[in-house]
Amino acid sequence: MADPLLQIEDLHATVEDREILKGLNLTVDKGEIHALMGPNGSGKSTLAYVLMGRPGYEVTRGKVLYKGEDILGLAPDERAQRGIFLAFQYPTEVPGVSVVNFLRTAYNTIHPDDEKSAIAFRMYLQEKIDLLEIPEELVDRYVNQGFSGGEKKRNEILQMAVLRPELAIMDETDSGLDIDALRHVSEGVNKLMSDDIGVILITHYQRLLNYIRPHFVHVLMGGRIVTSGGFDLAERLEAEGYAGLGQELGLAREEYVEEEGAAV
Amino acid sequence: MTEKLTKDAVRRLSDAFGEPGWMTDRRLAAFDIFDKLELPDPKSEEWRYTDVRGFDLTRFAAPIPGASRPELPPDVEALGVIVTDLPGAVADHEDLLKEHFFTEVPVDEHKFTALHGAFHSDDIFVFVPRGVEVTVPIEVVRRLPAGGSAFPHTTIVVSGQASLTFVDRFASEDLLEPALCSSVVEVEAGPGATVNYISLQDWGRGAHHFQTQRFTGNRDATVRSLAVQLGASFARTQVESVLRGEGSFSEMLGLYFADTDQHFAQRTLQSHDAPHATSDLLYKGALKERARSEYSGLIRVARGAQGTDAYQANRNLVLSDEAMAHSIPQLEIQANEVRCTHGATVSPVEEEHLFYLMSRGIDRLTAQKLIVFGFFGEVLDRIRVPGVRSELSDAIARKVEGGRRLEVAV
Repeated sequence: MADPLLQIEDLHATVEDREILKGLNLTVDKGEIHALMGPNGSGKSTLAYVLMGRPGYEVTRGKVLYKGEDILGLAPDERAQRGIFLAFQYPTEVPGVSVVNFLRTAYNTIHPDDEKSAIAFRMYLQEKIDLLEIPEELVDRYVNQGFSGGEKKRNEILQMAVLRPELAIMDETDSGLDIDALRHVSEGVNKLMSDDIGVILITHYQRLLNYIRPHFVHVLMGGRIVTSGGFDLAERLEAEGYAGLGQELGLAREEYVEEEGAAV
Repeated sequence: MTEKLTKDAVRRLSDAFGEPGWMTDRRLAAFDIFDKLELPDPKSEEWRYTDVRGFDLTRFAAPIPGASRPELPPDVEALGVIVTDLPGAVADHEDLLKEHFFTEVPVDEHKFTALHGAFHSDDIFVFVPRGVEVTVPIEVVRRLPAGGSAFPHTTIVVSGQASLTFVDRFASEDLLEPALCSSVVEVEAGPGATVNYISLQDWGRGAHHFQTQRFTGNRDATVRSLAVQLGASFARTQVESVLRGEGSFSEMLGLYFADTDQHFAQRTLQSHDAPHATSDLLYKGALKERARSEYSGLIRVARGAQGTDAYQANRNLVLSDEAMAHSIPQLEIQANEVRCTHGATVSPVEEEHLFYLMSRGIDRLTAQKLIVFGFFGEVLDRIRVPGVRSELSDAIARKVEGGRRLEVAV
């Protein structure tokens, strides 16, 4: 049997000497959408950054295998070149660098066998712009600079469409969006979903899952997955809240109580 | 034995050029000033972060008489445009020369300008008559021998309603023995005239470069300058726009990228001497390894210069922990209806930016290059000579990658 797309075993990770992930297990295959839900401070974004290799996020124990390969020693660009993509919760503004220039550089690095000239890339980019119904002028602007919250998230989806990853981690792609923007972004993700890609959808709210139907739902509390299920688990969470579920599972209070303003 | 920078060497240089007595006397007078002046004091505002007291001026060989030949656009002389070296100007345009040569920059400004006054030897004199528009840039390349010295002088006079673009290049291979360049640039724009002046300093390592550029704008004139520093071990450039005429405009751009142990010092002056003049200054620099840069810029608004609009920005991008940039903006305002804005920043390359770009598959070096290009884009986009723009893009890329230059101990 082939290796799963992503296999996380007993993952422990610290940020500034504080342990955030405390034994996380998760397996994702192509064609699957895994929703990862959890209260603020439970470690959702930490997992996203650890998978992408952000400096400062230190793995102290456990394994992350991507198509059977241990990726923990790889730099972020090497992970991306292997097909991993992170849609950022707070996309970074990069002054003076245009989206189109940046994306062409990225595309030609990730797909060296399909290197595109400036003109060929522009045409390819146009297809994705049309597919996702994104304002065209966005790509001639500097990366995320002066973008609205919705534009930033749509720009992340556009990048995902262009770079064609095999594993996409979407970190709170729904946060800060009004209902129209949420619908728009969700439609984009649905259009990109196929049997060639596995998706980890990180969210705090059940709302997003009305637009993107996950195959699996996992609840992350206190740095590990405390329970997993189907869509009904998300509905249960919506009804009971994280506290209700936490009590039901007999967890310690600090695991399900939300931390103010935490984004880890 | 090679001749050093002595008074006898001044006489011999003047003889070699066959100069008339008045020119020889001016040179000798400048040498006497040089002799009397001390090296600039690092306690003075203008030399604050640049200590040249230990600088040994006696070790450099005297300049070789001669002048760089500019490439002239065809037919430009038929329009009455004069482009000549000093002997040519002395022989054929003595009155013009006396009126404009070394009139804007004072010989006694500091020891290096005085030395220049004595030894200027690579002189170019440009005169554009009234109403003549020179559409193709005039370019010239200056040279500097190892162990020697060069004293390039550029005098540009653009008459009323006329226009000119001039590219002054200072380029050499790496110099195995230290060499000295002391240069003066004087540019005068007549009423309604437009002058674009670009200086590209790309000396090899081992060069010590001192330069004063002064631009004078008469009524409704437009003066644009771009000062680029890439090469040399040490470079200090002083760029001054004197807006003497009502309604005149000056754009002042600066681009510098220092690496290894390079030290760049830049001083700018926006002198608003007349009402309703505008100056717009943007100096951007990147630093890596152990490089040092300093920028100090003064906006000076004279009494009566109402309606002045002056803008000054200096931005520095620091690519290593050991590099250091200083930035000192200053204002001196004696009029009351003015708008003066200035800002200075020194920022590192943000790790967050690098991570974002790398998360899209771009390697660290390329990500850095994108960020550096993004940083310089604001200046590059405003360069009006396309060849210079692409040349600078290449130079910036090489600098980020680690450069082709050797380090030379001096």
